[in-house]
Amino acid sequence: MAKILIPTPLRQYAEKNNSVEVSGSTVGEALANLTTQFPDLRKNLYNDEGKLRSFVNVYVNDEDIRYLQKDATAIADGDTISIVPSIAGGRC
Amino acid sequence: MIRVHPEPWATMVAHAEATYPNECCGAMLGTADGDDKTVTVALPLENAYTGAQEDRYEIRPEDLLRVEREARQRGLDVLGIFHSHPDCDAYFSKTDLENSCPWYSFIVLSIQKGKFHHANSWLPNAEQTKAEQEPLEY
Repeated sequence: MAKILIPTPLRQYAEKNNSVEVSGSTVGEALANLTTQFPDLRKNLYNDEGKLRSFVNVYVNDEDIRYLQKDATAIADGDTISIVPSIAGGRC
Repeated sequence: MIRVHPEPWATMVAHAEATYPNECCGAMLGTADGDDKTVTVALPLENAYTGAQEDRYEIRPEDLLRVEREARQRGLDVLGIFHSHPDCDAYFSKTDLENSCPWYSFIVLSIQKGKFHHANSWLPNAEQTKAEQEPLEY
């Protein structure tokens, strides 16, 4: 089982859990299991095309999965998955 | 409603004035009771934008990961993000909206000629198409 850390604003969609233990051998499977368990999380993480929203980054321990194998990144028991948004902006 | 305690507010204003004429950025931690948020800690972050920082800011995801861990260690929640608009009003710009995240409050500090002028808080939607103004107290 891997542990997914739930960011504060999303805990309301995960029965107020701040982390959830999920099964799965890849990040994609773990996130699918998470959103099956808590369906309201799905629309916050995925767009209508079923892709992770553009501002959603996923880390396995300290590694950004965009630089690993993305959804196919393998996970092992004890790994921690973090959901971290991209944030930028500017006055113009 | 988002309330910012005096100490984190002073940290935010000092960071925004110190980085002028560039934009600053940072994270706000605290507690939330539904939509009622109280900021007790402000963490200035490095503006990672590689171009003209007087017009843009960018937060590294790894910095936000560190912020999330720090919040957990302190028993606090990550409530929002702050940034400055040098010599501009505290509106939520098209660039702000297109690079936002609906999970957080976004406080914009207007810095005029190097000094704090006013601030607003914004709540963007998931589609990054509009942001509602959120009552702000500091």
